Amino acid sequence: MIRFLPWDYGVRNLFRRTSRSVLTLLGLGVVVLLVLVVVGFIRGLESSLATSGNPDVALVVALSAGADIENSSIAARTPALLSASVRGIRTRYGVSYVSPELYLGTRITVDNNGMQGLGLVRGVTTTAPLLRKQVQLVAGHWPQSSEIMVGRLAHSKMGCGTQDLEIGQTVTFDGRQWTVSGHFSAGGSAFDSELWCPLEDLQVALRRQDISLVALGMESPALLAQIDLFCKERVDLELKAVSETAYYASLQQHYKPVRILSWVVVCLVAGSGVFAGMNTMYGAVVGRMRELATLQALGFRRIAIMLSLIQEGVLLSACGALIACLLGLFWVHGTAVRFTMGAFVLRVDSVGISIACATALVLGVIGSIPPAIKAMRLPIVEGIRGV
Amino acid sequence: MRNRILILLLLPIGMILGCGQSADIEKPILTGQAVSYDRAQYELQEEPAGVMGVIAAREEAEQDQELVVVGRVSDRIEGLAAFTLLDASMSLVSDGEDTGDDEICTGDCCASERAACTMLVKILDQDGYPLSIDSQQLLGFSDSDMLVVKGRVIKDESANISLIADGVYIRR
Repeated sequence: MIRFLPWDYGVRNLFRRTSRSVLTLLGLGVVVLLVLVVVGFIRGLESSLATSGNPDVALVVALSAGADIENSSIAARTPALLSASVRGIRTRYGVSYVSPELYLGTRITVDNNGMQGLGLVRGVTTTAPLLRKQVQLVAGHWPQSSEIMVGRLAHSKMGCGTQDLEIGQTVTFDGRQWTVSGHFSAGGSAFDSELWCPLEDLQVALRRQDISLVALGMESPALLAQIDLFCKERVDLELKAVSETAYYASLQQHYKPVRILSWVVVCLVAGSGVFAGMNTMYGAVVGRMRELATLQALGFRRIAIMLSLIQEGVLLSACGALIACLLGLFWVHGTAVRFTMGAFVLRVDSVGISIACATALVLGVIGSIPPAIKAMRLPIVEGIRGV
Repeated sequence: MRNRILILLLLPIGMILGCGQSADIEKPILTGQAVSYDRAQYELQEEPAGVMGVIAAREEAEQDQELVVVGRVSDRIEGLAAFTLLDASMSLVSDGEDTGDDEICTGDCCASERAACTMLVKILDQDGYPLSIDSQQLLGFSDSDMLVVKGRVIKDESANISLIADGVYIRR
C-alpha cells in the first residue's frame, strides 16, 4: 500500500517559494494564452467561412472567374434570363429570390480623417436580404442613393476606427462620396467586413453595366441542378453555377495552408512551454534535494514523492490555464483580424478553451516528470547531505 | 376566469394556424427528388444508323433536325437526366494537367474549347422538362462507355445547341 503525501503538502510548497511559483505560473499562463490566441484565430477563420454559405443559395458567376468572385463579370440581363428560364427559384409574395450583385475590392478614403484603406464593396438590390438571411440591419436605414450600409467589421478591414464609419459619416471611393446610412451585422460571416450600397449607384460610379454575380435562392438544394443545366445550355453566356456552401468550402480549402501553419504554431508554442516548465521545475527540484531525500528517509516511496511533484506542476499549470482563459475571454475574444478576404473575429469558444486547458495539463504533467525522475535517482544519503 | 384561461390557451393555437397560411406560400413547387423510370423506354437495343461526331453535328445541325450523335460523357448534371457529350476524337484530362493534341482539361481554362466539341443532351418528360433522375442512374452507362444518342436538335439564335434524346445506345 503506497502512502501518499498529503494534498495540502504540495499546495503549501507552492507558497513557500512564492516568487518562483509566480514566475512559473506567468510563464505557463503566457504559453496557454498564446495557444488560445492561435486556436481562436483558426476557429474564427473557419467560423467566418462556414457561416457565410447557405445550402439553398446558388451563385451564378462568369466561367472565367476562377475561385475569386471579384474577377467575375456577367451580363446585366442574366438575372432576368435566369428568372424566366430556371424552375424552382423561390418566390415570396411575388418577389423572386434573385439577387444581382456587383462585388469589388477598392481603395476607400475615410473623409473624417483622410485615411485610406482597402474595403470590400457590394452593390445590391433590396432582394439581397432575402438570400443573405444572416444580414441584420442593427442601426440606421437601408442605403438609398449615394448611401452605404456598413458591416460591423468593415472598419477592421479598412484599418480605421469605428467612429470613422458612424452613421452620417462619409467615405469616398471611385470618385464618389457616400454617406453611411446604417450598420449591419452578418452573424460572423464574411459579409460582416463589407460595405453595401445600391447596385445602380455603384454601376454608375464605376461606369459599368455588368454585374459580378447573381445569387439565387432555390426551393431546395437539390434544385441547384436546374441552374447548372441552364448554364450548360446557354453556353454563349459563359456562366457557371456553384452552391454558396461549395464556394465557401473551396475558400476554406484555399486557406488550408494557413490553418495547418496555425496548428504547427500551436504545437511549437506548446512545445516551448513544456521546455520552459521543465526548466523551472528542474530549478525547483534541485533546490529541494535535501527535503525530497528526507521524505524518502521518513518512509515515503519514490512514486508518492513523484506524484506530489507532478501535483505541484499540474496545480500551477491549471492556475495558469484559468488565468489565460479569463484573459482570453475578456481580452482576446471578439478581437477583429484583417485578412485578404475581409475580416473576422477571434473566437475563444468551448473548443479553444478545451484545447488550452488540455495543453496546460499536458505542460504540467510532462514538465514535472523528468525533474521528478532526476530527483528520485539520487541516493538518499547524498540527498540528505545536500548537493 | 375559466373563459380567460381558455382564450389564453386558444391564442397560441390561432397564432400557429395563422403562421401555417404564410408557410403555404413557400411550399416547394418542385421536390428535386429522384424518381424511378423505366430504363427500357430510353435505352436503344440496337445502334441506330447515320452516326456522326459531336463536332460535325454542331457544324451541320439545324433546328428540329433529327440526328444520331456519338461521343463520350464529359459532364453530368447531378440529379437530372442531362449530360454533355464530348466528341469521340477528343479526350479529357484533369484540371491543371498539360493538354496535348485532341485533349482538353476539365477546368475553366478550356471552357471555350470544350464548348466547341461538346453538346448538351437532355432526356425530357411529357411536360418538356428533364427527368428528375441522374442520367447515369437512368441509363446505367460508365464513364468510359461510348454513347450513341438519337434525338432532335434544339438550336437558339445564339447558336447554343442541345439534343433532345429519344433513345440512347451504349457501346460497351
